[in-house]
Amino acid sequence: MSGLPILSLVIFTPLAGALLLAFVPRDRVALLRWLALGTAVLTFAWTLLMVAGFNDATPDRGGFRFVEAASWIPAFGIQYKVGVDGISLLMVLLTTLLTAVSILASFGPIKERVKEYMISFLVLEVGMVGVFLALDTFLFYVFWEVVLVPMYLIIGIWGGPNRIYATIKFVLYTLIGSLLMLVAILGTAFVFASGHGGDWTGAFDYEQLRGFGFSEGVQLAAFLAFFLAFAIKVPMFPFHTWLPDAHVEAPTAGSVILAGVLLKLGGYGFIRFSLPLFPQASHDLAVPIIVLSLIAIVYGAIVALVQPDLKKLIAYSSVSHMGFVTLGIFVFQQQALQGAVLQMVNHGLITGALFLLVGVIYERTHDRTIAKMGGLMGTLPVYAVVFGFFMLASIGLPGLSGFVGEFMVFLGTFAISPVYAAVAVLVMTIGAAYLLWLFQRMFTGDLSDFLRGLGHHLTDMDHTEILTLAPLAALVVVFGVVPGLLLGVLQAPTDAVLAGLHSAGQALGGLP
Amino acid sequence: MSSAELAALTPLVYVIGLAIALVVVDMVRPGDDRLVGILAGVGLLIGMGVVWLAGANGATQEVFGGAYRLDPLTTFLDTLFLVVAFLTILFTPDYLRPRGYPLAEYAATLLFAISGAMLIAGATDLLVLFLGLELLVLPGYMLTAYAKRDGLATEGAIKYFLLGSFSSAIFLFGLAFTWGYTGTTSVAGVAHRLEQVVTGQQPIAAGLLMGLALLTAGVAFKIAAVPFHYWTPDAYQGSPTPVTGYLSVGPKIAAFALILRLFAEALAPLKADWVAVVAVLAVLTMTLGNLVALTQDNIKRMLAYSSIAHTGYILVGLAAFAGAPPGSEAAKEGIASVLFYAAAYAFMNLGAFAVVAALQGRPGVTSQIATFAGLGRRAPLAGALMLLFLLSLTGIPPTAGFFAKAYVIAAALASGGLVPWLAVIVVINAAIAAFYYLRVGVVMYMQDVPSGAQPVTNSLPMRLGLVVAAVGTVLIGLVPGLLLPMAQAAAAAIL
Repeated sequence: MSGLPILSLVIFTPLAGALLLAFVPRDRVALLRWLALGTAVLTFAWTLLMVAGFNDATPDRGGFRFVEAASWIPAFGIQYKVGVDGISLLMVLLTTLLTAVSILASFGPIKERVKEYMISFLVLEVGMVGVFLALDTFLFYVFWEVVLVPMYLIIGIWGGPNRIYATIKFVLYTLIGSLLMLVAILGTAFVFASGHGGDWTGAFDYEQLRGFGFSEGVQLAAFLAFFLAFAIKVPMFPFHTWLPDAHVEAPTAGSVILAGVLLKLGGYGFIRFSLPLFPQASHDLAVPIIVLSLIAIVYGAIVALVQPDLKKLIAYSSVSHMGFVTLGIFVFQQQALQGAVLQMVNHGLITGALFLLVGVIYERTHDRTIAKMGGLMGTLPVYAVVFGFFMLASIGLPGLSGFVGEFMVFLGTFAISPVYAAVAVLVMTIGAAYLLWLFQRMFTGDLSDFLRGLGHHLTDMDHTEILTLAPLAALVVVFGVVPGLLLGVLQAPTDAVLAGLHSAGQALGGLP
Repeated sequence: MSSAELAALTPLVYVIGLAIALVVVDMVRPGDDRLVGILAGVGLLIGMGVVWLAGANGATQEVFGGAYRLDPLTTFLDTLFLVVAFLTILFTPDYLRPRGYPLAEYAATLLFAISGAMLIAGATDLLVLFLGLELLVLPGYMLTAYAKRDGLATEGAIKYFLLGSFSSAIFLFGLAFTWGYTGTTSVAGVAHRLEQVVTGQQPIAAGLLMGLALLTAGVAFKIAAVPFHYWTPDAYQGSPTPVTGYLSVGPKIAAFALILRLFAEALAPLKADWVAVVAVLAVLTMTLGNLVALTQDNIKRMLAYSSIAHTGYILVGLAAFAGAPPGSEAAKEGIASVLFYAAAYAFMNLGAFAVVAALQGRPGVTSQIATFAGLGRRAPLAGALMLLFLLSLTGIPPTAGFFAKAYVIAAALASGGLVPWLAVIVVINAAIAAFYYLRVGVVMYMQDVPSGAQPVTNSLPMRLGLVVAAVGTVLIGLVPGLLLPMAQAAAAAIL
């Protein structure tokens, strides 16, 4: 497969599928669905091929494999340049898997405007995969914005009652952050070009920018602009307010992708761009960011505890879980950084599954109010078991994947600052509390009057629903038992990130 | 007059000839809109060929003792004007036919206006600049009032005419001052005298600054920069929709052509004195245009304010030129970003107005945004195209509007002084603008089809025009390298 442009195949197969779908008549609903699923599965297959060949491929000097580069806008040295390392490998794997699962999970719930829906989903996949693979800052920005439009449509057309408010809020929040990032991307490129006598060649090339060494003022300004874009996406406290609205209003599959992949774009951006390009500014601002992460961890968990709406509860739990990711990134420590990447993968799998499970019950009850549930264990045993499984994974039960990432972040943080680690560990108990309490309220006791009123509509999970959750459950077990599978590919890229940071400055000082 | 000089004049003469031919055809076969439409469309396509042949070698040719000049800038702008005219002609019949207005006078008037724009593009003498300007705007007043039985059209045309004449007078007054204090009307001559003023060989006269102020106010009216924009929403709302599309693009780009010839060429030595004014105008224009657009319920008024905001973005490119050291690479990028933005804007804005026009195939349809309700469902293609144009106007990649905005921002960042800060103001404005553009998307895709919704016209010219606008919008965004070297060559011609 040496001659195969595998990364371009992964990026553009969904685009080809979307174009193909555009020519299918809109009343051929079954054909539209299967073509979309076929495209997503094919994309996933390309990803598996990429994973299979990953170890044998020779990395370039920056540690990226399967690198493809072509000139795009020569006047400014802008390239179509893509490449993959261990971190982006895992992210792409997560993206293509969750997209296929989401499309399958949409077969039942989405009955209107299937054509537009499937096209939006495939275009969304192009953007997401592109963000993870881009090695040119301009190209990265293009893919970053491509994500926005399909998600705007998915929430706005197929969402809940308050969908228009939610989708506009989502778009405006994201745009404000990303547009300032555009200024920073163009600004860093200009500084690079001025440093090379006005020659723009390589001014957007990630690997050249990484070695450039920006002055402290430029670093600080650019870091803040990138930070805003990524922090809104993650979302970090206090930039998280779009998330509960978007999650609650989005259709099930939209929530899965939102939680499973879109939030990771922010975390990935920190690791790929903020730390390597602006090491000095990262050092200078690490402590406030760690504090914000801790606030997010605590705040998300406490707010989740009191949510009356099932989806909102999981949305706030995401704020808490993603706090571990940013914490792990900004303590600049090997285990913590690897833990942050693992946490992103695991959160994608587990929270994606939890949103699918919310979708299962919502399809039957058209309600997500926790107070109206109760006693589901007797009527829906399979559902109860699957829900319990992913709930335990989310709590961080050892042996399941949710544990590994959080544990490594603790371990790494403890080495830097016991106090911060202690705060984070304490919150795990709140995390256990809101999820266990949720399980108790939904599944134990007598069947509630509301659910009794549904009568025979209250059926257990069907085959499609089980099929969508099975691969996620399998990976949660595998990654939980053998985390070494993932850690192997993470060693080199995390080493590179940390080496860049430590050569730029001293270790984090002044932490309690 | 040598043959090279004649060749340099060919594009201009050709377009005037085409306009006259349209009038003649209408006399021979009155009321044959089809023939007129085909003649105008094909004639304009040939015209683009003529422009390219005349400017193919990229050389500079002066005509009339240096009063008119064919250079890469002229060629770039002429092509753009012909594209604007071509698209406008394609979008018009669906609007005029059901309302019972003839196409022939319309097309001829439009082409006379375009010939004025082309005269500006090549003018290197202050008097010729003014001549071109008047030739541009007088037919514009007529087009605005073309739906003569419509009260709103008449109101808009009168406002446009009064303020337009007023601003022309101010502009002419400014030209007189400039002539009085430099003793020449030639662009190069003015630049030379001002160079001497700047280097201290001559004193800077108060009258000269007065002239500069009057000139600035005059062109600010023409490009509808805040606070000289008050005529725009009324004129835009009252005009027949295809005319509105033309007004928002043609005269605006022509006015920027005038700014390039006058400010970037003749008054360039004084640019340290006017950069601050342009920067302030840019900030006011972007911000106020966008903020007022937020509150509009009428799509034509909304797009009118949005076009004001786009004027502001283009002014940022001009400020980038003015803030950069004379003759530097950054100065060239500033001019090139103005030209690139103008081209991208022409495709996306004309496309957006075309969809509005397509919805108004029957007389009496209002321009309320509500008429777009459920468009994504009842006319998926028109809805998707409108979404594309709106995304491009917002600046979402990979569309023309995105790269244009990125280019303007990059030029501003490369410039000197306080100009780089304009980049931040541009992106904040882009985020504000996203709100009202996406609101139309919400209406199109997230609201139900109302009962009695108007059908969308789909005549061949309309479809062809929409395809051209959409392809232009996508292509310029995906492969900016096609247009970029031309814009840079055109910019280099006046530095």
